[in-house]
Amino acid sequence: MDVRLPNIGDGAEGSVVSIVVKPGDTITAGQTIIEVETGKAVAGVPSPTAGTVGEIKVSQGQKISPGTVILTLTGASGGSAAPAPATKPAAAAPKRRAAPVEVDEDDDAPVDDGSEDGPVPAASPYVRKVARDLGIKLSRVRGTESGGRVSVEDLGRYIARLERKVARAGRYAEEPKGMAFEPVNVDFAQFGPVTSEPLSQLRKVIAARMVENKVSLPHVTQFDEADMSRIEALRAAHKAAYEKAGAKLSPTPFIIKAVVAALKKHPKFNSSLNEVTESLILKHYFHIGIAVDTDVGLLVPVLRDADKKSILEIAKELSQIAEKARDRKLGAADMQGGTFTISNQGAIGGGHFTPIINKPEVAILGIGKTAQKPVVTAKGAIEARPLMPITISYDHRIIDGGSAARFTVDLVKAIQEFPEADVTL
Amino acid sequence: MELIQTDIVVIGAGPGGYAAAFYAADLGKKVILIERDPRLGGVCMNRGCIPSKALLNASHVIDSAKEAASRGIQFGEPTLDLDKLRTWKESILQKLGQGIAGLARMRGVTVMHGKGHFEDSNTLRVETAEGQKYIRFEKAIVAVGSRPALPKAFDLGNPRVMTSTEALEIPEVPENLLVIGGGYIGMELGSVYASLGSKVTVIEAMESILAGGADPDLVRPVAAHAKKAFKEVRLKGKVLKMTTAGKQVKVVSEHDGKTFEELYDRVLVSVGRVPNGQDLGLENTKVERDEKGYIKVDERMATTDANIYAIGDIAGGILLAHKASKEARIAVQNIAGEGSAVNRDYVVPAVVFTNPELAWVGLTEQEAKQKGIAVEVAKFPWGASGRALTFDRTDGLTKLILEPETHRILGVGIVGHGAGELIGEGAVAVEMGATADDLAAIVHPHPTLSETLMEAAEAFFGHSTHVHTRKREAH
Repeated sequence: MDVRLPNIGDGAEGSVVSIVVKPGDTITAGQTIIEVETGKAVAGVPSPTAGTVGEIKVSQGQKISPGTVILTLTGASGGSAAPAPATKPAAAAPKRRAAPVEVDEDDDAPVDDGSEDGPVPAASPYVRKVARDLGIKLSRVRGTESGGRVSVEDLGRYIARLERKVARAGRYAEEPKGMAFEPVNVDFAQFGPVTSEPLSQLRKVIAARMVENKVSLPHVTQFDEADMSRIEALRAAHKAAYEKAGAKLSPTPFIIKAVVAALKKHPKFNSSLNEVTESLILKHYFHIGIAVDTDVGLLVPVLRDADKKSILEIAKELSQIAEKARDRKLGAADMQGGTFTISNQGAIGGGHFTPIINKPEVAILGIGKTAQKPVVTAKGAIEARPLMPITISYDHRIIDGGSAARFTVDLVKAIQEFPEADVTL
Repeated sequence: MELIQTDIVVIGAGPGGYAAAFYAADLGKKVILIERDPRLGGVCMNRGCIPSKALLNASHVIDSAKEAASRGIQFGEPTLDLDKLRTWKESILQKLGQGIAGLARMRGVTVMHGKGHFEDSNTLRVETAEGQKYIRFEKAIVAVGSRPALPKAFDLGNPRVMTSTEALEIPEVPENLLVIGGGYIGMELGSVYASLGSKVTVIEAMESILAGGADPDLVRPVAAHAKKAFKEVRLKGKVLKMTTAGKQVKVVSEHDGKTFEELYDRVLVSVGRVPNGQDLGLENTKVERDEKGYIKVDERMATTDANIYAIGDIAGGILLAHKASKEARIAVQNIAGEGSAVNRDYVVPAVVFTNPELAWVGLTEQEAKQKGIAVEVAKFPWGASGRALTFDRTDGLTKLILEPETHRILGVGIVGHGAGELIGEGAVAVEMGATADDLAAIVHPHPTLSETLMEAAEAFFGHSTHVHTRKREAH
């Protein structure tokens, strides 16, 4: 059987980072066969079934999209278990080459230099020129004429669709005026020796998302500090028991639990805005994204149902996902569905910083390094206390300053008054 | 030193250069056009396309008169007045040259005759009859073209060894003519001399004549005709040595394992063309050339010097006049900031004016095979064309190269009388993204050769009126 690339999430295309198996290998169902760098991450693609690898049909660096045949499997136990292909594989396409369908998700990036990756689509020189001038890829436009040829009318319809889409989105994300920056294209070698490294696919995606999130959301960032005395005491008291249970008791599980407690009290922080239907979606699940620093760049795996998990379970899962992220074994599903993100730089150092919201989430928590600092107590005495810098960036369209202050106060309280019962094994 | 200021200077007034100069003037630019020859028009008009077609036309008359005998019309032996033939040919070139000069005048393009030499990236020195002139330009377009290659071993300093430039002057009709190189120039000029009465021998190094890109299917009738019209066509042959031998040229060659030592009255060397512009002062600019001497350009026709563009033969690629004219538009549009013209995504038709003519546009069957592109091929042999029968030339073939699923026409190839005129429809079909279904549905006039395009499309679906093929489903 042919093993095809399943739908790998919202980055419809990806490039092959590495091929993990080789012809002749006997593999099991679920075993990673290749790693693909997609819109969001480097994700392993599992084999849908067990069998022996025949021919590998992709090469490293190759761009592939859902439906691309990755390899052939012989002695496969069953051909039907393709891993949730949301897009029809190419073989199932009708005999006549289907004209490209104008899919909504494809429309997100209509503007480029208009150059085509594949063969030039059938269209008159005039239509091709117009498309080139407008930076529209003709391969995205559905042609209605003989042989799928794109007519002027087809192009007009495509542009009208884009306009409607932009108008819809524009009510929320009106393109800021004067934001069309001249791209930097300086020959720095004139000032001194330089080396040039091309950006990886992942880095380009990170860059694009950061710009989009930063520019399209009105960020406000709230600063505070949490006294970690209690959590440090709890850690000291329970460390041995956790070690016996096979887990390292770091401050992060405590913070996750405290965040969940604060989110429960302030449901707006656990929501998303549907910009098209203009409604606020309040989520009754608590999936916490954990920003992980890896060699390839920033990855944000998601710890699911944090509210239903114990500190021990969270501690164990955290080390698993961190390891998976660093070994580039995260699948696309491992990074989807987050409701709130924590970016913890405490292990590295540094104080307060202003994190960028991970859209479509509405808030993010940034944590700096805990350090002993002088604190004036209620009695007027000065004491050294371990203080952890915390910052909350939030989407000011959804969350007002007062709500943010209340959330912050409650979060600090949840940290400082962490219930021992939650830690005890 | 007086500096003449201009927006754009164009060096070379061939079909690339004058097209660029005129278009730039039409867009409101101040333009100076430099030409070293007294007459405008470049190689194409003075030493290429136009004079060769004039001579071919004259030679067709001779051939037609001979062929008429079988239809019951007898002519006597033709007598040749070479002076008159040359004067007639010259009058055509004169008319065209004046026409271009007139068009330049009407557009306000300043024409300067002389040799251009770059002093730097903004200054061109021109050696004119009235002395040195210095032009300060914003942008320059280099369109200095190419010239026939004459390898050192063949360059005896003997006028009996000619390139196409001299051959087009028809200094005489030699009794024995050797053509070295069976490409399109050698085959076209060989035809002219054969019709005028020379015994023509062609030596070609490759396995076929017209090996440069033409479909073997289409070359076949040309090769068959050449076999009759020429004394001999030696494929996979090689010229070893050439020496002057009195009023003749002694040629030692190799073919089929045998060595020949022969005397020829004239030799035409048509082994390709080489770029001009070695003496253009490009070393004073940032312009770079490749190892063959062609100027390196990007897809906007810009060279590695921000102020200098290059188009046509000097920019490499296929050396055709109409390709130069297209590149002229692209360069000027980019200089003028109009649109987003790039030098890709268009097809360049090729025509070889042999007997019969051979023309193609877009993808050829051979190219599809080499590149592993799946195609379907539809053919209409001219034996089934009533029109071809009326002038006794059924040695033609019309071919469509089709995308298998959409039936989109990716290429058209035609061999036969008037193929050069017919290929224009092929270019329109390919550029418009037309399908075989479209071509079959379009009414073509009867009785004409253009019907062969429609019937080739019909033959693809198995319902051509005049040829029988297996059926398939149309869209």
